[in-house]
Amino acid sequence: MSRVVVTGLGVISPLGNVPDDLFARLMAAESGIRPIVLDRPRGRYSNIAASVTFDPAQHFPPQKINHLDRVSQFALVAAAATWTSAAIELRDQDKHRAGVCLGTGMGAANALEEGYVQLLDRDPDRIKPLTVLTVMNNAPAAHIAMQYGLKGPNLTFSCACSSSTVAIGEAYRQIKHGYADIMIAGGAEALLTFGLFKAWDALRVLAIADQKNPSASCRPFSKNRSGLVLGEGAAMVMLEERDRAIQRGARIYGEVVGYSSSNDPSHLTKPSIEAQAAAMALALADAGIAADEIDYVNAHGTGTMLNDVTETRAIKQVFGDAAYKIPISSTKSMHGHLLGAAAAMEFVIALLAMDKKAIPPTAHLDAPDPECDLDYVPNHGRHGPNIRNVMSNSFAFGGTNAVLIARSATS
Amino acid sequence: MMTILQKIQKIFAKEFSVPEESVKPEASLESLGIDSLGSIEVLFEVEDEFHIRFPQGRVEGMKINTVQDILDIIDRLVAEQQPGQPGEGPKS
Repeated sequence: MSRVVVTGLGVISPLGNVPDDLFARLMAAESGIRPIVLDRPRGRYSNIAASVTFDPAQHFPPQKINHLDRVSQFALVAAAATWTSAAIELRDQDKHRAGVCLGTGMGAANALEEGYVQLLDRDPDRIKPLTVLTVMNNAPAAHIAMQYGLKGPNLTFSCACSSSTVAIGEAYRQIKHGYADIMIAGGAEALLTFGLFKAWDALRVLAIADQKNPSASCRPFSKNRSGLVLGEGAAMVMLEERDRAIQRGARIYGEVVGYSSSNDPSHLTKPSIEAQAAAMALALADAGIAADEIDYVNAHGTGTMLNDVTETRAIKQVFGDAAYKIPISSTKSMHGHLLGAAAAMEFVIALLAMDKKAIPPTAHLDAPDPECDLDYVPNHGRHGPNIRNVMSNSFAFGGTNAVLIARSATS
Repeated sequence: MMTILQKIQKIFAKEFSVPEESVKPEASLESLGIDSLGSIEVLFEVEDEFHIRFPQGRVEGMKINTVQDILDIIDRLVAEQQPGQPGEGPKS
């Protein structure tokens, strides 16, 4: 079995596109959630969301933008940042041992919606000829693989909220089990379209906008939480076989030591304590560590009534008495729920927490829910603690629960 | 009034950033950096520009290798589909 380390990071986030900036803003409990207005042919649509500042023209020539949905644009730009951060140069013989694993929930939502509007509203005879290639869910990963000449695994995972945990976890297994030496892995999501806003709203899981302070609308573990806030962006890590990374003197952000992928077959959306606890326990077993060796948990923490109380109980079941001593936070309170990119974003944040010895808070947690009585690091980040291992939780609609554990590079 | 070639040059410049002067009848699409997917997009733009429709189905059978091939097809389809529109004279 090979050991797997993280040697690069990249994000397109509602709190900036530089990992260190994102982390600093999270530590300051700054929220990237804001009002958003979409222009539609039949009027404007308003909601709240964690949108990103992103100008495709800065990254791509005009004719290429036509072929890349926003989700692929995010993926390519985050991949470029990850590549730069890892400072990897692939020789030809390396390319057969290098690959990509990517997660996305809704894929090319913008191009798909645009295609339907074109066909149904404008002209039933005219749709862009490369629409299939633009909207296929594996387009983001395919573009990354083409950009860097990757000839190893090229895999896309779509399992809602846990898509990118699974992508990173499966990439880790590719290296651990000897199928690859280098894997870029993560997630991308660009779902802030009119149709998807309406669809998520119809499911009645979106947070009610806070009238006084829209940026405080997502309140995980709070008594007055009202749901999740959709976000967009991308996050990626460069995974590398440990000896190779050490040999080339790579900067190491942490070692991936545990991953679990399990299913909750009881209900399409309703989470169960048993299944969430099983996912965490399996990841601990894979890492070969005890629960009390985890020094920070980045919770799934969506801010829905059901998730947060279930996750709290599941953590108690797995961690026992230690549950009350481990800092746990939901950074979704600030970067929103990026669906297929959420887990990768949170894993990057957990790695940075370990690297910087700093724990980001759960923002907007002024009125704790008595049912959620653990240490959620309310409102203020903490500097200084030594963090040996971090856990990042993802529990998805559809049942796919996945957990990642990383160990500090210095421990 | 623009010739067919001039219109094609405009399309290539707009959609593919190919300099107009390099879009000559004898130029191969490959030499202009346009691959098989690109040629499908060219045909889509051509359909709009000339108000014609290519026959349904595979484009591969059409043997579109050069700019001249595109000019010939346009000429033929305009004649078939828009009988009122005379050709625009010598193409090159």
